[in-house]
Amino acid sequence: MRGLVGSELKAVRLGVAQLNKAGGLLNRKIDLIVRDSKTKPNEGAKQARDLIVNEKVDVLTGVCSSAVMLAMTAVSGELKTPLYSTIGNTQKANIQAFQPYFWQTQANALGEASAAAEFVALHKNWKTVVPMGFDYEWGHTSVDTFVSHLKRLRPDMVIAEPLFPKIGEANMTSYITAALTKNPDVVYEAVFGSGLINLVKQGKSFGLFKRSNLVTLMTVDVMQSLGNAMPDKGVAGYARAPFFELMGNPKAKAFVEAFKAKYNKYPDDWAVLGYDGLMFYAEVVKKAGSTDADKVIKALTKVSYDGLRGKGMTVRALDHQMSAPVWVGVVTKTGKYPFPIMKAVVRVGPDKTVPLAALVKALRAKAKSNN
Amino acid sequence: MLIVQVFNGLMEGMMLFLIASGLTLIFGVSRIINFAHGSFYMLGAFLVYQFLPFLFDGTLAGFVIAVIGGALVVAAIGWLFERVFLRHIYQSNELMQLIITVALVLIIRDAVRLLWGSNDVVVSMPPELSNAIEISGSYFPVFQFAIFGVGLFVLFMMVAIIRFTRAGVLLRAATDDRGMVALLGVNQGRVFAAVFTAGSFLAGLAGGLAAPFGDINYLLDTNVILEAFIVVVIGGLGNLWGALAGAIAVGVLKSLGVLYFPRFAMVLIFVIMAAVLVVRSMNLFRNESRGLGEL
Repeated sequence: MRGLVGSELKAVRLGVAQLNKAGGLLNRKIDLIVRDSKTKPNEGAKQARDLIVNEKVDVLTGVCSSAVMLAMTAVSGELKTPLYSTIGNTQKANIQAFQPYFWQTQANALGEASAAAEFVALHKNWKTVVPMGFDYEWGHTSVDTFVSHLKRLRPDMVIAEPLFPKIGEANMTSYITAALTKNPDVVYEAVFGSGLINLVKQGKSFGLFKRSNLVTLMTVDVMQSLGNAMPDKGVAGYARAPFFELMGNPKAKAFVEAFKAKYNKYPDDWAVLGYDGLMFYAEVVKKAGSTDADKVIKALTKVSYDGLRGKGMTVRALDHQMSAPVWVGVVTKTGKYPFPIMKAVVRVGPDKTVPLAALVKALRAKAKSNN
Repeated sequence: MLIVQVFNGLMEGMMLFLIASGLTLIFGVSRIINFAHGSFYMLGAFLVYQFLPFLFDGTLAGFVIAVIGGALVVAAIGWLFERVFLRHIYQSNELMQLIITVALVLIIRDAVRLLWGSNDVVVSMPPELSNAIEISGSYFPVFQFAIFGVGLFVLFMMVAIIRFTRAGVLLRAATDDRGMVALLGVNQGRVFAAVFTAGSFLAGLAGGLAAPFGDINYLLDTNVILEAFIVVVIGGLGNLWGALAGAIAVGVLKSLGVLYFPRFAMVLIFVIMAAVLVVRSMNLFRNESRGLGEL
């Protein structure tokens, strides 16, 4: 299983072990069944169907790819079995393709890209931006949202035509030089994982960080992988759950220490999200007093959850989107950890990351009229 | 603007040539389509990551030794694979080739995950190669020039060996008429083993050289093999000059496509590939058979 899913799985295993040690859920031991969607939507849908019909699972989770998530949520709705996502975050699962047995526990792509636009808009001396995203569902959604949000916030900014490298592109140089021809003050990137590492490493040799700035999804796993190869300046990131910003929260601190003790590394965002999602589900089941799908869904929006990322987190009834924050900051090497982290971090709250109810309704109406 | 993009395309093309050269060499002589070529590339990259901490880490010399050492290990693995499995199937149909080489892809992928885990790893760029030459506000990375130089050297060596050495004569003969070479008393098996080993070495070399350029993970194999196949399909499988032309064409087209048609850059390459296949199927290429034998 790919890196980011692998670390999420590690955290979920840790959480399941902790819950079972404390007597399980409703006095029943939790059984974790792991399947690989191979990042293929039809394979994900097939596995989801098999897990529900043959393994009789109570809940499905995980899913890295937004495309797989959309395929799985269709199965979840059809077979009335809960599915929650802690990685893939296309807002389509909450808005256009929404079905009541689905929820997601991190800011969706709309919220994340909006937070990035807010951050860019704050820099009044930035006049030109080149948007770039992976050429698939999430990349396009993020770029479109970023562009439309930024246009509203900063109508004076020049926004170049977006670039869309293929997912995981090994050679980003053509895209870097094409972006630099626009003399941008900032490049917005909806990329992650290996594509992002390639972009940063190759961007350095083209002077990208001397001539411009980068604003991108920046998760702990990427900062761990890049280490000293991270540029000293010019990189700002938005993150879903950076552990170093959560250490003031005793729950998060305990999780980080337990994770480090068990796996000998710091948890990345995916691990924090996987654990937080599981513990939220446990709270919901306790509230429902049952793992029955309809009872769980009924309790879902009534739980106020104190988790790793903050207190009083809730899932909204309208679209089953959790009130999750996004952190935006400047990447730097502090020496406190054996890899770079973010400093001057701003926590963008759910008031800015969760799409307005009116927008959700408008997007649904538009999707309906298109059909 | 245009010059930077063309330069960039040439550099990317040379990297693609380095990857595709081994693939086309192996096919040209033994008619084996080696699906594991990308896996050998990936192994080369991981071996550099493994060797570097023990070899003057952070120096150019350490990097060069690690790259050559890694490529030699990959070559040894290629030789072993050829001797144990491939040599039994030269007379079999393409399906058997597919099964055996794809099996190797899966074995290497699992071995890599077992040895190095599923997280991305990164190799630092040697300081001598991490700079860029700045010309009128545009940056030309030294690393790209180095890769271009190595690509030219590999091309020169391949042409020199194929044209001017006894081994090269045997290779060209084996490409043209395997039966006749066997009848003349040449041990075909040794020729095929040597070619597969050399092709594996080239894959390992390309992977090792590219290691500091980007991210290394166990999915690198499929990314690479796809691009290598595009190059050799455009250039003609088994045709060294074709591989060079195909690689440069793909690199430059991609680069210019990103600048002028950003939404269709990748589609453009596939359109060219499809057009080449259609034209070739109409038998319009006069030099269809031109391969290693005509060097």
